[in-house]
Amino acid sequence: MKNYQLPVLCMLSILATAAITPNARAQHTPIPAQPGIAPQIELDGVGIGTIELRTPRNTLTDGTKLSTGRINFSDSALLLGVSERLYRQGGIGSFVLGATTTDSSLNGTGTGLLLHQLYLNYSIPSLEATLGRTDTATRLIDFPTLRGDDLVEFTAPLDPFSSGGDIQEHRYSNQAAVTFNSKLRYFVNLHAQHLLNSVDAGSDQTGLNSYGISFRYMSPPALDDITRIPEWGVGYERQEIPASHGGANNVLYAGMVYNINPDPVDRVDLRLQDVYSTGNNLATFTSITDTYRAAANSIALSLRWLHSPFGTPGFQVALTGGYRSYQSVPRSDTFALALTGIKNLGQGFDLVAQYTFQYRAAAYAAPFGGSTDNSFQLGFLYNFTNTFNHHLGARRSLLNLQHQYIPD
Amino acid sequence: MNLYSNTIMNTAKFMNRRRFLGQAAAAAGTAALCTQQANANPSSDSNAENSSWPVRFQPDATRPRWYPRDMPKAGEVVHEYKIEIDLIRHEILPMVETYAYAYNKMVPGPVFRVKEGDWIKVDFHNNTHDFHTIHWHGIEVPCEMDGVPLGTQYPVGYQQTFQYLFRAQPAGTHYYHCHNMTPLHVQAGMYGAFIVESDNDPVKAMFPYEREYTLALSEIDTNYVREQLNAMQQMGEVMDYMNGSPKLMEKMNGKMMGWFASREDFVQAVKNGYIPPYAQSMSGYVRPIQPNFFMINGKSYPMTDHLHIRSGENIRVRLIGAGMMPHFMHLHGHDFWHVCQDGAVLASPIRHNTIPVYPGCTTDIVIQGTNPGCWHFHDHSDISNMNNGVSPGGMMTMLMYDDAEQAGFHFKEIIAVNT
Repeated sequence: MKNYQLPVLCMLSILATAAITPNARAQHTPIPAQPGIAPQIELDGVGIGTIELRTPRNTLTDGTKLSTGRINFSDSALLLGVSERLYRQGGIGSFVLGATTTDSSLNGTGTGLLLHQLYLNYSIPSLEATLGRTDTATRLIDFPTLRGDDLVEFTAPLDPFSSGGDIQEHRYSNQAAVTFNSKLRYFVNLHAQHLLNSVDAGSDQTGLNSYGISFRYMSPPALDDITRIPEWGVGYERQEIPASHGGANNVLYAGMVYNINPDPVDRVDLRLQDVYSTGNNLATFTSITDTYRAAANSIALSLRWLHSPFGTPGFQVALTGGYRSYQSVPRSDTFALALTGIKNLGQGFDLVAQYTFQYRAAAYAAPFGGSTDNSFQLGFLYNFTNTFNHHLGARRSLLNLQHQYIPD
Repeated sequence: MNLYSNTIMNTAKFMNRRRFLGQAAAAAGTAALCTQQANANPSSDSNAENSSWPVRFQPDATRPRWYPRDMPKAGEVVHEYKIEIDLIRHEILPMVETYAYAYNKMVPGPVFRVKEGDWIKVDFHNNTHDFHTIHWHGIEVPCEMDGVPLGTQYPVGYQQTFQYLFRAQPAGTHYYHCHNMTPLHVQAGMYGAFIVESDNDPVKAMFPYEREYTLALSEIDTNYVREQLNAMQQMGEVMDYMNGSPKLMEKMNGKMMGWFASREDFVQAVKNGYIPPYAQSMSGYVRPIQPNFFMINGKSYPMTDHLHIRSGENIRVRLIGAGMMPHFMHLHGHDFWHVCQDGAVLASPIRHNTIPVYPGCTTDIVIQGTNPGCWHFHDHSDISNMNNGVSPGGMMTMLMYDDAEQAGFHFKEIIAVNT
């Protein structure tokens, strides 16, 4: 795992070196590009810092007890994207590179840096092809918790090759994917993935170990607030777990966003997702990894109120809950709740707070070292996006959605 | 045939044009106009006393010849037109297409050409998810017909129709454009020529001509237009959805659109949490408009249409500053006469080889066929002679002599776009 956890300073020093040695080329380029024509460059980022109080104290996988309070800046990320119009066959070509902070217990400092996005993308009106590392292809519904990895064992199909040391391993994978669409509203995704493997040190850590297909509907972005069902989807995934570890897992998942009160000022929405896995015959947990592999059912549900005076988001309150049970492992249920509040202070800058509670039944608690968790966080979140040399429109812009023109 | 580069008396084929004499149907929106007393006897032709140069100075010449708040009377000519606005793809150059708001699916919009004093009735229908108007730039219309959204009329929404009715005056070269979100909508193609002909035109008397050309000069920031049109589509889509929900209609009231009944209302809304868009943009840097294509009648060189002339012929060229930048049109190998400005005949023609055409202005020139060949006619502000930063291109065309061969000029034009 440590091979992709690069220290920030090391990366910055590499970038700085590149900047001051303009004649140096990092890689051989088979067909040189026309000098002087700059691509579109997008710089996105999110910084999140909270003071966190937790009881009982967290325990690392090696048994080390963590302190009750800590400063948590995990899930902060910086992304660099480069895109250009392809003038020969049409379409858009792009490359994205990004890293996110983790609260990995694999790292002695409790904080790591994960290269979570590194992919190339080719898109034409009818399809998109992606190669590299990005969000797992099974990611369906985003829940309104503070961090994307909060309650992840309920909100996402899990990575059965993760040791549990880094929760972000459930969110990103190496993949080859093709997504076909109809009218840029209906999407069929076919993919093969390498789910990050941190448990089988020394074995095949790069091979394809998961395959799947998903179908998804997304409404035009402008109508997110006011259509009843702006988003829904279903998917199937086959995870190739070795027979010695319980055998392959078949995962079915489905989710939707339902606007209880479709309203541009006071939107209230419900998010619902179920992840059902079967086929694996594990009946006991000997490690955290087994909890990701055993046949289980997870359901996640959130209720969110977004208040946007005069149409501009002002604050958001959300209650998210999750429940997970195992078919073959007795006394292994777990559930969790997260109450999240976000107050917008200005362009992309928010004051945030979250209380979470999780209960684990005995069999499930054993590998995690505790049956209950309480945590409270208070802090700031800042997200931004900036585009330089802007010359490409968004793929799912309304112009493209309504008129099916070639994205430009 | 491009209506912008044709001979005179081009009737507007693009429109559902119907002329009738006698009683004219009055538009509902203009009923109030009847309340004012019309001028019983219009003043003389705006050019009648100026049918030759030098033109006599008349301090009251800016007074409309007919009272603008008059209504059509029995026996007067009323031209009826239908103008629709659609979202289309417009090709500036091969491999360069932009989204455009187009009057009758044309960029620029169709040419209006009428006699001074005729009545114009236009049914303006909006097929886009945005708001629009038509401002009759330079025409002495009644205030309600001026096309300023929330100033003189409510903007025309999706699938709504507004009827404009006014008398064509004064004579000269004018134009029309959308006055809603003008920086976006004009770049997106909402402009066109409006030519009012006079029976006593000193230009024609002094420089007899058969062929004339209308060149609308404009520029576009294709990236700005794309992003802003998207934003407007988004708002339009929401409004369409709202139409089916009285509750949403109440929530998404004018204040969410940034519309307020008074300054006091606006200030109160700010106190209640409304964040004006300029306050939001002041929190950081917003990219300014940076035009990257420069056009004559919606096309950039080498796709611009040529002007044609013969030795000894006069041609009239009507230049319209439809965009947001001044342009300095230079003709190679010739001097020409500046004869009209903003539709009005100059006191005396002025000789130039380069003439500024400012935003919102119209400039008429007469070119005389004195030097056979094929000659460049282009904006001498060289930044406008580029296509997306690459020269040559942009606001450039050619003056082509039809009889150049007979005069011994054998050079064949080459389209040079470089590699």
